[in-house]
Amino acid sequence: MLNDIKILMKSLSDIDVRIMLCKSAFEWELLAKKYNALRDEIEAFCASGLPADVQEALEKTRAYLVEKKGELPPLDLSDFFK
Amino acid sequence: MGLIKNIGNAVKNEVRDYLLKIVEAEKEAPKRPEAENVQKPAETETEQPKPKAEEMPVVKEEKVQPEHTEEIEEVAEKPRRKEIYPIANDLEFVRCSYKKNQDLITIPKELAELIKMLPLEEYACFVKLYCFVLDQKKNYGYWGSTLKRRIGLDYLTTSEFEELGNNLMAYGLLLIEKLTENQKTFVLYVPFDEEIMVKLSTAKQPAKQPEKPKKKSEKPVQGIRKEVKKEAESTPQHEEDIPGKHVEGMEDDEMYKSYKTFVSLEIDKAKMRVGRANFDKIYMEAVKYIDKKYGFKVLSDSDKFKEYLTNYYISAFDIPTFENWKKSKG
Repeated sequence: MLNDIKILMKSLSDIDVRIMLCKSAFEWELLAKKYNALRDEIEAFCASGLPADVQEALEKTRAYLVEKKGELPPLDLSDFFK
Repeated sequence: MGLIKNIGNAVKNEVRDYLLKIVEAEKEAPKRPEAENVQKPAETETEQPKPKAEEMPVVKEEKVQPEHTEEIEEVAEKPRRKEIYPIANDLEFVRCSYKKNQDLITIPKELAELIKMLPLEEYACFVKLYCFVLDQKKNYGYWGSTLKRRIGLDYLTTSEFEELGNNLMAYGLLLIEKLTENQKTFVLYVPFDEEIMVKLSTAKQPAKQPEKPKKKSEKPVQGIRKEVKKEAESTPQHEEDIPGKHVEGMEDDEMYKSYKTFVSLEIDKAKMRVGRANFDKIYMEAVKYIDKKYGFKVLSDSDKFKEYLTNYYISAFDIPTFENWKKSKG
């Protein structure tokens, strides 16, 4: 179980690295999807409750993602107004 | 010599007294009631020049007023007398955005053939608008003094610019839509090219527009009042043709489409107003707000995020909501 959670946490830190290198909204969306999937996987794995450090790591990655989205060029809304 | 001097002095004194009287009379004139002014000339002979001086401007004013009204009538009649026949009928006005920034400003042959028939001023205005459209990567936007300034026609008065717009509209190459009392949008005719453009929506062209100048030119001799009456009679039909105008029975979908265009333009306008750096900051705040309020799932869902982002902009830039916008149009 310890090994499994370590693998999941490694995937989470991979996402952290990729967030730093992310330069487009498209890349960001892929990372966000990966994060959501990983979060669901971790939550399913730790059904009895998330350990505090895992919870902290997840929140940290989420904060990175939100910050990165804000730093990227504003989303073009022209499609939305079609 | 002494005699001449004496005569000279006497004349000087007479003139000085005369001038003093006139000055005093002018000072007292506004205080006196009109009745006194009428009586005065009869009282003394010396005060005769005063009423003359007072009467003069009155006579002048009476003469000037009709001249002015004639001028106004002439100015108002000028564009009415102008006969404008549309260069092309049934052109499809498509609101579109360009996929990329164009390195060259190229005018399609089809369009060049049309605009070469325009008079010099309208031609220049069209080309300026065309350059502007390519620069902003979309063939529509707000019609007004900002546009006038941005296309380098700042030296024109608002009415002259409006006239140019109306003429281009009459020629059938421009569409101006009235959003509210003070806001108008334009759609410039550009031949649609799938390779370089993305179609956003089709603008509805007023059906009776080409006939408008004809009707006016048919009866140029008639007075303005009669023409105004005729226009008043014909306005209900025109109002029905103006896209975005609230008409009873108009479907909500149509209204909502117009509203979307309005919001899109308002956001673009706000972006220009606040500047790129500030707009980026606002966007960053919007992202944080949406994440905090609606959760990360909304942030990562592209469609939902666009919806919430639009709502945030509507709130941040004081853009009227759909209901308020509808009310303002009603």
